[in-house]
Amino acid sequence: MSPSRLEHPFGQLIDRDTPVTFEFEGETVQGYAGDNVASALIGEGRWLMSRSFKYHRPRGPLSLAGHDANTLIQTPTAANRLAEDLMAKDQGTLSGQNYLGSLKFDYYSLLDRLGRFLPVGFYYRAFFKPRGMWRFWENVIRNAAGLGVANLEATPRYTDKQYLFCDVAVIGAGPAGLNAALTAATGGAEVLLVDEQELLGGALTYHRFTLEDDSRAQTLKALSNAVANHDKIRVLTGATCNAWFSDHYLPVFQGDRLYKVRAKTCVLATGSSEQPVVFRNNDLPGIVLCSGLERLMMHHGVCPEGPAVILAGNDDAYLTAITAAEAGLSIAGVVDLRSEPDDLALPAALSELGITLYQSATVYEAHSDKSGAQLGAVTIYPIESEGKVGVTPTHLECRLLAMSAGFMPAYQLACHGGAKLAYHDDKSEFTLTELPEGMHLAGSVNSTHDLKAVCADGRNAGRGALRALALETDNDETVQCERHVNHPWPIFKHPKGREFVDFDEDLQIKDIINSARLGYRDIQLVKRYSTVGMGPSQGRHSALTTARLIADATERTVTETGVTTARPPVKPESLGVLAGRRFHPIKKTPMDQRHLALGAHMIPAGSWRRPAFYGALDHRAANIAAEAHAVRNGVGMIDVSTLGGIELRGPDAAEFMNRIYTYGFLKQPVGKTRYAALANEQGVIIDDGVAARLAEDHFYVTATTTGVDRVYSEMLRWNAQWRLDLDIAQVTSAYSAVNVAGPFSRDVLEQAGCNIELSSESFPYLACREGMVAGIPARLMRVGFVGELGFELHVPSLMAQTLWDKLMVAGEPFNIKPFGVETQRLLRLEKGHIIIGQDTDGMSHPGEVGLAWAINRKKAFFVGRRSVDILMSQPLKRQLVGFTLSPSAPKPEEGHLVLRDGDIVGTVTSCEYSPTLAKVIGLAYVHPDDAQPDSEVTIRTADGVCVQAPIATLPFYDPGNARQQL
Amino acid sequence: MKIMQCPLNGPRNISEFVYGGQVEPMPDPQQCSDKDWASYVFYDNNAIGIVREWWQHAPSSYWFIAERHNASDDILRTYDPGELFSERVDFTTGENEP
Amino acid sequence: MTSNLVSPLRCLTSNDDDRSGSLKLRDLSLATRSGVRGVHASQWLKSESLPHELQPNTIEALPDHRLLMALSTREFWLLDPDNPSGDTEPTFERTKPGVWPLYNQNSHAWLVLSGEPRADMLAKLCGVDLRSKAFPLGTVAQTQMALVSTIIAHHLWRGEPVFSLFIDQSLTDFAWEALQDAMAEFNTTR
Repeated sequence: MSPSRLEHPFGQLIDRDTPVTFEFEGETVQGYAGDNVASALIGEGRWLMSRSFKYHRPRGPLSLAGHDANTLIQTPTAANRLAEDLMAKDQGTLSGQNYLGSLKFDYYSLLDRLGRFLPVGFYYRAFFKPRGMWRFWENVIRNAAGLGVANLEATPRYTDKQYLFCDVAVIGAGPAGLNAALTAATGGAEVLLVDEQELLGGALTYHRFTLEDDSRAQTLKALSNAVANHDKIRVLTGATCNAWFSDHYLPVFQGDRLYKVRAKTCVLATGSSEQPVVFRNNDLPGIVLCSGLERLMMHHGVCPEGPAVILAGNDDAYLTAITAAEAGLSIAGVVDLRSEPDDLALPAALSELGITLYQSATVYEAHSDKSGAQLGAVTIYPIESEGKVGVTPTHLECRLLAMSAGFMPAYQLACHGGAKLAYHDDKSEFTLTELPEGMHLAGSVNSTHDLKAVCADGRNAGRGALRALALETDNDETVQCERHVNHPWPIFKHPKGREFVDFDEDLQIKDIINSARLGYRDIQLVKRYSTVGMGPSQGRHSALTTARLIADATERTVTETGVTTARPPVKPESLGVLAGRRFHPIKKTPMDQRHLALGAHMIPAGSWRRPAFYGALDHRAANIAAEAHAVRNGVGMIDVSTLGGIELRGPDAAEFMNRIYTYGFLKQPVGKTRYAALANEQGVIIDDGVAARLAEDHFYVTATTTGVDRVYSEMLRWNAQWRLDLDIAQVTSAYSAVNVAGPFSRDVLEQAGCNIELSSESFPYLACREGMVAGIPARLMRVGFVGELGFELHVPSLMAQTLWDKLMVAGEPFNIKPFGVETQRLLRLEKGHIIIGQDTDGMSHPGEVGLAWAINRKKAFFVGRRSVDILMSQPLKRQLVGFTLSPSAPKPEEGHLVLRDGDIVGTVTSCEYSPTLAKVIGLAYVHPDDAQPDSEVTIRTADGVCVQAPIATLPFYDPGNARQQL
Repeated sequence: MKIMQCPLNGPRNISEFVYGGQVEPMPDPQQCSDKDWASYVFYDNNAIGIVREWWQHAPSSYWFIAERHNASDDILRTYDPGELFSERVDFTTGENEP
Repeated sequence: MTSNLVSPLRCLTSNDDDRSGSLKLRDLSLATRSGVRGVHASQWLKSESLPHELQPNTIEALPDHRLLMALSTREFWLLDPDNPSGDTEPTFERTKPGVWPLYNQNSHAWLVLSGEPRADMLAKLCGVDLRSKAFPLGTVAQTQMALVSTIIAHHLWRGEPVFSLFIDQSLTDFAWEALQDAMAEFNTTR
């Protein structure tokens, strides 16, 4: 049988023709489409939804708006979801969380009885002594205080992000927001209107602003129709704006998408949070805010089981009582903290409905029913003075208590922008001041509460937005609101405690006061010590009470005390939505498909993916050995398209080269290459490459794969200052390259067809040429990185795959073998060539790494010159040298330490087994006194095993460099 | 996210830009003292006020200069480096190389 | 003679090409493009009887259906969307001082996006407002798309407004896949 609900106009959100069901704690729950999980549960009379964080007390919803942490539940795929945020129709099986046993019978609730042994700061004070004990206690405590369970098997949802551009972002679609949006849009601005709820109208959808309630429905209908039909207003409902960032950048979460809203100006019509009264057991399920009860009735048509007591700190609570009575809820009494309401017609209206009114009184204590998890009765006492009650109790049986102690502006977004909160003693209210440029407030966040004033305030904010956009608008209306909505001291300390200030963190009045007594006077320290405001509701319901309590305890004003800094996010957000789609740009060379077809084992290299070697990973050593063997004895080919490339063209190209790189380039002949090392201004070597002079005014320079972007940027910046006559172009992607290396490399090029004379006489080592290879225009360089006869061919990228194919065919008679970057690293290590960034670090100056020869100290200037001079005039502190080890010794890895008399003097930077040399070879930083070939150094390998490694002369292979010059 | 005005590309998200340090004139590298050189290389003037900084718009590799208040983070002005560096710079001592 | 040219787009599956929907993405990486840069670049344009007073970050159609795009006051791209590139390098004079040929034929892939919701779709990948009001025909944005540097040009092609996207050729596959993924919600039939 479907649950019964109130008739229209109650239940605006539900579809009474579409019943839905879901499971909660093993029982079937029935509701209607449009219900959220909380409203459906309460519709069936179930208030208990969670267990509190620390004492495991039973909890039910407070705000019914997803603004408190009392409704955190577990879904099959996610933990810590708020029941109000989950639509009943979409759910399968749900459960409570943070209990041992069941939600109804939680063994941990024993902790509640031990509460007096768990004072504020207890964890800090009790479990950290003796030293080390925290490790033990941490497990115990985390099990008891754990929240939901992450489902590691869950399939990730598809989440993404989208920018959304508008002139004006209006956050909050209550009466103020609707008016602001309409005014701005009618004035010509493009408006985005965002609201958390599915319904436009905010409080207009549930709260009667006057006793007569004559114009509300009409106002709502007119406003929401006008907004829905305005073509300059885009509406996002069910969407949460979770932060304000610089220049009106607003993250808005809607479902699985994060909108990155970029507005030119914004209107915050975020409303205000109704405040609870603080009394003993004010956290029992069945105790809600007045607005929560109104939402239940008006949105979902749920009339909870009575009788109900209304606890009023303002006139609005009377109106709630009247609405509830009209809905048929039995009202056991209205308890007013004040001596009389502002509107003197209200008591008469109550008595007409037969509702008893208790004035100058408070609920002093709430009592549970037999289940222990639901409100059963309240004790009412007369108020004698601020926070103090008299001696004559009145006992009222009730299942429901709705309360309103006042309102706190929803200040979070404004405070993200730097706004400040000031407390007004005459109204007992915080108001926002010092707004950032282009931010406008409207409605109750701006401390206007009367409906007419709220609407006018909204229109004024719309006008403000138009002015910020330099659009025309008329003059502001006068906004006056004399209403008092806040009670100055709705706080009633009880000798037995359990008057909750912060429901999320289970903090009572004494916890806040004790923080001040222990010396934490500053509100920020109170927060950190007591954890007040740190929970999911982020102080929405606790900041005002905390400020009042601390002000009182430290004898300061509430303004002086203030509230803690509001930081994003406003509401809990899902990490998946924050992450969105993951963009991991991976660069591929033109030969990428060929590598895959050849079975390459691909690895990341900077932002690229490259073949490490060809063949299976579990035959890594054998595959690398075979590739190295081919290069040393036959011919190999490696894709070096990832090499950075920079073109320098113009009359000053040589002068510029000379200033940027450490070596001399003015007199470099056309057709020759030179090694080019680059220092930064600190004198540290940061990159290297080969500079080919293609013409008097034209250099083509390579740079390391990972360094080229920085080199290019720095070149541009230097020339922005020097103003030399040249063009600097990054051509890394325009040119792709292969290195054909090995004794038969010349034969392969000849086989492929090459219009350049390749003999060593006409094309010697370190020369460069331009010509055609296999019908493709190419820049050729004779390089010696791997230590064999070799040609690097740089070709336009669109033709690079064709070049690769043609060379593979031409190389067939010579058994050409493609080799990968790991093989290349081994081959260059055999030649003792360093790799900048692997064999150097952020401190390596040229003298340490054997590059003193690559410094020209006769020229006027190069970048880092002065620092290099200073560094190299000082005694060396370490030196990069080669070492060897027998294959049977423990093999050092990169990063292993070099020790000297037990002290660390350096590290291993490269180390491989060389199949060609049949020994382990490596490079390491050592103490300069140990750098000679007859020395030995101690290397600490894995598990602390030390080996003695003899220092070797570099290069390890082909010391005379004869092979590369063939 | 903050917006920065690029002199070439207009207003853009700050994430499109790369900070390049303060604009600081290089002392004569041949003549200055080690101390002056170290101060140029390693130290930034960190006083509160308006600073002149290098910024690069990464997608277009365009360098420009921004004047920014380092307490309020207000960007007061951005402009092409040609405004500051209009003359060709030369280093003239001891030209001699192999 | 078979061409030596191979598009940098390699992840294309046969049905990507003719997928129907409101958005369409095409690979024009093998169409002809060239360009010049340098202090005398605009004078060179003048000498070639080409428009030479283009504002930076604008694009203009030429009478012969080529497009001229200005990226700064001294960098211009010549785009010929309907003419496949030849096997040789651009034919500019190499040493004319102050006018340096660009390598954009090989450095950048060229993708063309058409369809009405193109700005809405790109808002999933790019932080620049590309709606026609803010980014009208004839404008160019040098920006980032899915974390990748991209030049986006808004122009007419075969009578239809399109975005030309120029991306580092090594990132073509990545960009194509990111775009297809972002397009999916606009191209599903409902």
